[in-house]
Amino acid sequence: MRRLLLIGLFCLGLAWAVLGYPGFANRGSYDSIVLDFREDLSPSQIDQQLQTLSQQYGVTAHLNSAFSQADHLYVLNGDSRLLQALRRSDLRKSVEAIDPNYTYQALEVPNDPDYSKQWNLRSINIETAWDETKGKDVTVAVIDTGITKVPDLANTKFVRGYDFVNDREDASDDNGHGTHVAGTIAQSTNNDYGVAGIAYEAQLMPLKVLSSFGGGTVADIAEAIRFAADQGATVINMSLGGFGDTHVLKEAIDYAHQKGVVVVAAAGNSNTNSAAFPARYANVISVSALDSTGAKAPYSNFGAGVDISAPGGAIVDENPLGGILQETIDPETGKPQMVPLQGTSMAAPHVAGVAALIQSVGMKEPDKVAFVLQQSAQVVKDDALNHFGAGRLDATAAVKLAQRENLDVKDFFRWLRDNGYFNLRFWIDGGVTALLPKLGMVLGSYLLAWFLRNYLPMGSFALASGLVTGSAGLFFLRGFYIFDLPQAPFRILGSSIPELGGAIQGSPLLNPFFASVLIPFCLIALLLGHSWWKWFAVGSTLGVAACLIGSAAIDPAVLWLGEGWLARGFLLLNAGLCFGLGSLAAKAASSGGHTA
Amino acid sequence: MITVEGTIQRSGMGMGTWALVTSEGQTYEIHQGAPKDLLQPELRVCVKGEIRNDVMTIAMIGPVLEVKSFELLKP
Repeated sequence: MRRLLLIGLFCLGLAWAVLGYPGFANRGSYDSIVLDFREDLSPSQIDQQLQTLSQQYGVTAHLNSAFSQADHLYVLNGDSRLLQALRRSDLRKSVEAIDPNYTYQALEVPNDPDYSKQWNLRSINIETAWDETKGKDVTVAVIDTGITKVPDLANTKFVRGYDFVNDREDASDDNGHGTHVAGTIAQSTNNDYGVAGIAYEAQLMPLKVLSSFGGGTVADIAEAIRFAADQGATVINMSLGGFGDTHVLKEAIDYAHQKGVVVVAAAGNSNTNSAAFPARYANVISVSALDSTGAKAPYSNFGAGVDISAPGGAIVDENPLGGILQETIDPETGKPQMVPLQGTSMAAPHVAGVAALIQSVGMKEPDKVAFVLQQSAQVVKDDALNHFGAGRLDATAAVKLAQRENLDVKDFFRWLRDNGYFNLRFWIDGGVTALLPKLGMVLGSYLLAWFLRNYLPMGSFALASGLVTGSAGLFFLRGFYIFDLPQAPFRILGSSIPELGGAIQGSPLLNPFFASVLIPFCLIALLLGHSWWKWFAVGSTLGVAACLIGSAAIDPAVLWLGEGWLARGFLLLNAGLCFGLGSLAAKAASSGGHTA
Repeated sequence: MITVEGTIQRSGMGMGTWALVTSEGQTYEIHQGAPKDLLQPELRVCVKGEIRNDVMTIAMIGPVLEVKSFELLKP
């Protein structure tokens, strides 16, 4: 019976791993089929085959082009069903290949000469998104140092903005930051000059709230947010942040949100475990920064409050183009210049630009736009410290998801619930633990205990605590953050005994000292003499056995041992030792009497 | 009013800004208008000033410190 259980759990894990393999995903679309006849066939033999084809399947094959005669390359209209039928028919003896005639699309590659240096745009998958939309008829407000109309913004549409620093209509830039940010969102594109922008048919609303030094007051920022919402902007980008929680700013954001505006903000550049304000507020999409390899940029904030990640760049001496390249002004001379900059300031406008693309295909409502952005992001596995939020921004996936007529309402509501912000003291990352494997491990530990039920006090609290501690820990605490405090205590409480080794530094790998029979052995040795704690020790030993079996089946990644059969063997061996130890200890403990 | 000891550094965030980094690794962003004599890389200083929670910036490297006065420390 025990062996049956082990085999069953193992098969379950294997099926899980295989069915989730991305190689099984759809590989393209086609509505015709290519026939490549053997070179040694004569024209009359081929004619005969074509006639049979036409009689049997009612389809006519023709040469692909004037040059296809020599290769005997024919195409005919048909779908996957016809393809399968042809591959099974006698025809296959006369051909070298019967293949789907996959459609390849020319990508929308802009002619801007420095587009090749914009690794950031390719990394968010922008080209296929441009096939669908370029952000037409959406207004994006850029709340920043102002925007100067540099040559590469000449074809970009503007609406009336305002300068809240100097109280005037002209919101030109005297710092260079705002113009750069605006460039990422809507740099004039396909204009044979400079670089490209994400939603280059959208309209920009310049709102200057930061001085030439790059700082400004929450009063001005709050006013600018309300101005944007009242003047028809439907996306706001704020590449700015601070450390003070103010009522005036939160109210302004809630006002804009309730008027249907998507608010995006930078998570901050202090490499700390919490988004800055205003990114931290509930109705703001908070963006952390990636470098050109897709890893967290060294300066980027992470953890509590981070919703999604996007390219922010990282400039190092050997690679100045690791930054985000846009045209802006030189603050000293006011002249236009192409410069790479880095920061979550550069990451936020990527998300604001894609939000504009989403709105231009008809999905306007801010909560739905946030849902689409996060649901379509490329998920980063094992993101224990929440460097990436929902994942890496993906423009094409976002636009495609937004175009689907009916979003799955159930998914949407689950997402709303999982992203529940309760208040500014704490925050919950709903995606941090996969619930099913954890529940499976707890159930598995109970199953192991059930085999030994003759020796165990099944209703005992000590035993139950041991089973949970060993198998899953208080796993729901893993995604729990208190703003501005380290998250490690929650990761430790949220870890099972085998996971403790990686919990402090947030590593997803199992440490072989912790994921083994070692700790259960010590617990039993120390606690077997105690009337209450002995059941905790037995329970945690069985719990560890269940956790190790589950890990071997689903995710056997062990430090120094890799993720292959070596790791799997190590985990299963230790699971066996734990179960053996647990049953010996249970027998010994029960002969000492049920005192729990 | 707070007193902070640390080293002046140039930060590459945003269009560039000045930072005061303490020996514990806490970074403050120096608010605009600080004396020019203070803004020199690797200067060891003791700064008296105020944290401006009502200010937001493009650099976002840490709390914004408005300098009221400062003293040079021996390197």
